[in-house]
Amino acid sequence: MSGKHINLTLKVWRQKGPKDQGGFVDLQAKNVSEDASFLEMLDAVNEELVTKGDEPIAFDHDCREGICGACGFVIDGEAHGPMKSTTVCQLHMRNFNDGAVLTIEPFRANAFPVIKDLMVDRSAFDRIISSGGFISANTGNAVDANAILVPKADADEAMSSATCIGCGACVAACKNASAALFTSAKISHMVLLPQGQVERKERATRMVAAMDAEGFGSCTTTGACEAACPKEIQLTNIARMNREFAVAAATKREKHGDGGAG
Amino acid sequence: MSGFLGSTVGKKYLMGISGLVWAGFVLAHMAGNLLIFVSHDAYNAYGHALTSGNIIYVAEAVLILALITHVYTAVSLTAANKSAKPTKYAVAASGKKKVTLASRTMAIQGSLILVFVILHLITFKYGTHYETTVNGVVMRDLAKLMEEVFQSVGYVAWYVVALLLLGFHLSHGVGSSFQSLGLMEGTYRNLWKKLSYAYAFVVALGFIAQPLYLFMFAH
Amino acid sequence: MANKLDSKIPSGPIESKWTKAKFENKLVNPANKRKHSIIVVGTGLAGASAAASLGELGYKVKAFCVHESPRRAHSVAAQGGINAAKNYQNDGDSTYRLFYDTVKGGDFRAREANVFRLAEVSANIIDQMVAQGVPFAREYGGTLANRSFGGAQVSRTFYARGQTGQQLLLGAYSEMMRQVDAGNVELRYRREMLDVVVIDGKARGIIVRNLLTGEIESHEADAVVIASGGYSNVFFLSTNAMNCAVTAAWKAHKRGAYFANPCYTQIHPTCIPVHGENQSKLTLMSESLRNDGRVWVPKAAGDKRHPNDIPENERDYYLERVYPSFGNLAPRDVASRQAKYRCDEGRGVNESGKAVYLDFADSIKRLGEDKISERYGNLFEMYDKITGQNPYKQPMMIYPAPHYTMGGLWVDYNLESTIPGLFVAGEANFSDHGANRLGASALMQGLADGYFVLPFTLGNYLGGTKLEKVSTTHDAFKAAADGVKGEISKLMNIKGNRTVDSFHKELGNVMWEYCGMGRNEAGLKKALAAIPKIKEEFWQNVRIPGDANYLNVELEKAGRVADFIELGELMCRDALERQESCGGHFREEYQVDGEAKRDDTNFCHVAAWEYTGDNKPATRHKEELTFDNVHLATRSYK
Repeated sequence: MSGKHINLTLKVWRQKGPKDQGGFVDLQAKNVSEDASFLEMLDAVNEELVTKGDEPIAFDHDCREGICGACGFVIDGEAHGPMKSTTVCQLHMRNFNDGAVLTIEPFRANAFPVIKDLMVDRSAFDRIISSGGFISANTGNAVDANAILVPKADADEAMSSATCIGCGACVAACKNASAALFTSAKISHMVLLPQGQVERKERATRMVAAMDAEGFGSCTTTGACEAACPKEIQLTNIARMNREFAVAAATKREKHGDGGAG
Repeated sequence: MSGFLGSTVGKKYLMGISGLVWAGFVLAHMAGNLLIFVSHDAYNAYGHALTSGNIIYVAEAVLILALITHVYTAVSLTAANKSAKPTKYAVAASGKKKVTLASRTMAIQGSLILVFVILHLITFKYGTHYETTVNGVVMRDLAKLMEEVFQSVGYVAWYVVALLLLGFHLSHGVGSSFQSLGLMEGTYRNLWKKLSYAYAFVVALGFIAQPLYLFMFAH
Repeated sequence: MANKLDSKIPSGPIESKWTKAKFENKLVNPANKRKHSIIVVGTGLAGASAAASLGELGYKVKAFCVHESPRRAHSVAAQGGINAAKNYQNDGDSTYRLFYDTVKGGDFRAREANVFRLAEVSANIIDQMVAQGVPFAREYGGTLANRSFGGAQVSRTFYARGQTGQQLLLGAYSEMMRQVDAGNVELRYRREMLDVVVIDGKARGIIVRNLLTGEIESHEADAVVIASGGYSNVFFLSTNAMNCAVTAAWKAHKRGAYFANPCYTQIHPTCIPVHGENQSKLTLMSESLRNDGRVWVPKAAGDKRHPNDIPENERDYYLERVYPSFGNLAPRDVASRQAKYRCDEGRGVNESGKAVYLDFADSIKRLGEDKISERYGNLFEMYDKITGQNPYKQPMMIYPAPHYTMGGLWVDYNLESTIPGLFVAGEANFSDHGANRLGASALMQGLADGYFVLPFTLGNYLGGTKLEKVSTTHDAFKAAADGVKGEISKLMNIKGNRTVDSFHKELGNVMWEYCGMGRNEAGLKKALAAIPKIKEEFWQNVRIPGDANYLNVELEKAGRVADFIELGELMCRDALERQESCGGHFREEYQVDGEAKRDDTNFCHVAAWEYTGDNKPATRHKEELTFDNVHLATRSYK
């Protein structure tokens, strides 16, 4: 907690609505505390805008603890800004120099249309999850939790994949706007656990199809997603997804009718 | 299987497998080329042996099929990728989240390499047909053609550039193929990556050695 | 009116009440379930689990989410864990013990029957979440790991690193998304509930604003579930997410749902201290840190030395001193209050003087840095990111912050509010934690309500209630929608000079000062004089730029702040009327040696407030609490 203050010039993408033309607007952020977060810096800029009668810069945000995944935009070409493993809400101003000029724009991807200013629509992620990112377990069906033993190493690795916050930085950072890291993290989380085995083929097949249908690009292994990921989700997940998908395609079974009970 | 091949992941499988076919080929090609350092006769004899059986047709068929597959999937995926990301950022990433140049420019590298491969075939496979006799067998004197071609500074420079580009392409491509095929996982992930770099370095160096050697020492 | 507060607790011994209720509940025939529609407002742990379970049963569910995705709900931020009476550690835990601890921890202000049911289903929750693939921490043998947490003397807390809430939310979310895929749940994003529609005395629908287009939409159903979370953001600075609001609950209150115990708020002892004027929210550091960290302040007031330069004998490890048996693990309300006392004595640290140290030096010496990093690595990193200080090298600084609200809409045993057909789940209801919530119990309650209680009690309501078919063309819908539109245009037309946040901060300061960790009659009266003035100025001078017919963040915030102002007033009244100290409600006039002094003779009841009209005082109703199993005793952690 340094108590120092800095001044910045912001080139912020302003866009009134999904169908409007957007453009960069220069704004000044004056006397910003180094202990403030990036979003708190924008809050202060917004207070000034509102006081003048202008509309504030719209951006998604919620928990401001780096866990909900709501926040995220691009600062100088980097999703969530310059610090690794950090969401913009956890990015603090002490990481910027006095007098810096920062270009701030929304996540860019066809599958993430801009709603307003820095806000984009990431509902494509929800549709990918609803296509198969679950283990079907109706309430009331569960056996005793310790009846399912999970090797610690598997549980730990599943957890590492499951920490994805669905912020979309992977898509934003990828030159192809690929959602492979997001999709594969969920597939990995579930395939690493015994509970996820029954539906593993169906899940991989459906989730990859859903990912493609949303108009995301393909993975060309640049590693930009991994570098941008605030939760350090690894590229190995994508390798695992590809293998799961190929094995599912190669070993697909014919569909059989259910038959009546008479 | 149409669902598989129609998907981005399926196409990456095709691209990876076809790429690895060519990666195997260029390694063998490069190794064969090194015979020029032994003698012109050894080099010509090797070329003759390769082309005299029927196996060459099979090999060529496989390579052409792989090339077509590689180029087709590349074009199709690149087009889809471009429409998935129509807008680029105003400022390019330059800090900790920047990624390697090789990985970002595969399509451009690939296009240039394709041009190179076609020109290379025109220059050598379909170039002037000199003859020579080695151990009593009449065969094509490719070594002579090479010597001739690599006297021009421009030609040598273009080859060096193109082969560096190939090395660049392989440095990312081989590792990425293993990734696409789902093999880059766990403990060996970084080993695969290092092998991929080492491989690309050896192939590029081996190839470049030949025109440079001929330019500097063969007159 | 007192009959409205019928808690509907089943008769019989506490152990069999829930079984009995489930048996006696009316059922809905499987073929009829799809003819019933249910609206769920809020898709955090309680809402998502309810929507998923109800969808599985075959009801037609419409779920509404204020966020862009249900996965953003603030349940995601819970760090520490979830309690369950599994007794996997063989350390003497049982349903009864969890029940007992929760009643005692809540300072005897919760309903015994509800708490027992919560403890009873806690084990099912763990089974359910594991079946869904929640990657809980495991031992090398593959069994589930546990830790002790928040003042409990048994290890009954299940956890997934420091991200338990996230993993549980994603579990419930994924099950709900499965029902979306199956067509049983229809999910509406970026919709804010702005009214409940009551027809023939029953909740039959809601009015929402589409936050993207500004459109006011009407939705009808046979029953409505509100699971919209708590109201800690009334303090402006809290650990709650920025979009957490009381709005949905408050609108229901204004339509006739009683609001119970609004003054019961939890101040969490271990948050990162305030850095300055622009601070937008506070960040919690998991309570689990107190397992290995020692809390202290300098013995001398105004000691400005670097903490590492203060020798051992000049430090006051006050929790260990005051509570020798619980030490640093004293419950939240107690630990928070002690921190406040130390700062009030002028012994607080940080430039503001509003912080205490949480020191890991001894644990690092004893266990090694590796072990500490394994346990708390992500928290230490987060602390470092926010403060720029390395907690491995110097003590953390912490200070209490509003974190959770035990109060909420009054519900009976079936989680039904005083409006028939309006059910309330999770933090939004008042039910299970009494005057203080124990650590790792919020996740448990949200999931218990959604997975295991509502599916039965809603079925009972639908099976036993005659419901006429209604549509959104009904006059009641039109009237409610017009009311909402009227309020929005009123807000837009003020065109004043002050920002929404400036009012929110002003309200927050009043609430924190007079209705925060310590409350007294004079302060509460001051607050009750100040808040109406804030309200008056707000409605004359707030400035909302732009229009209402597209995404307008300032308008959204303004609506929420307007509701917080009204709630704030009710909280202060509730705090003033409750002339005792209990749990998170600490009235300075009622204490013994700095500890809460309950008045069981006069205040062993739930205060449920009835809305009587704009600017009219709410009416206070009582639901008497009886303790047949856990005997009323003074909570002691010494």
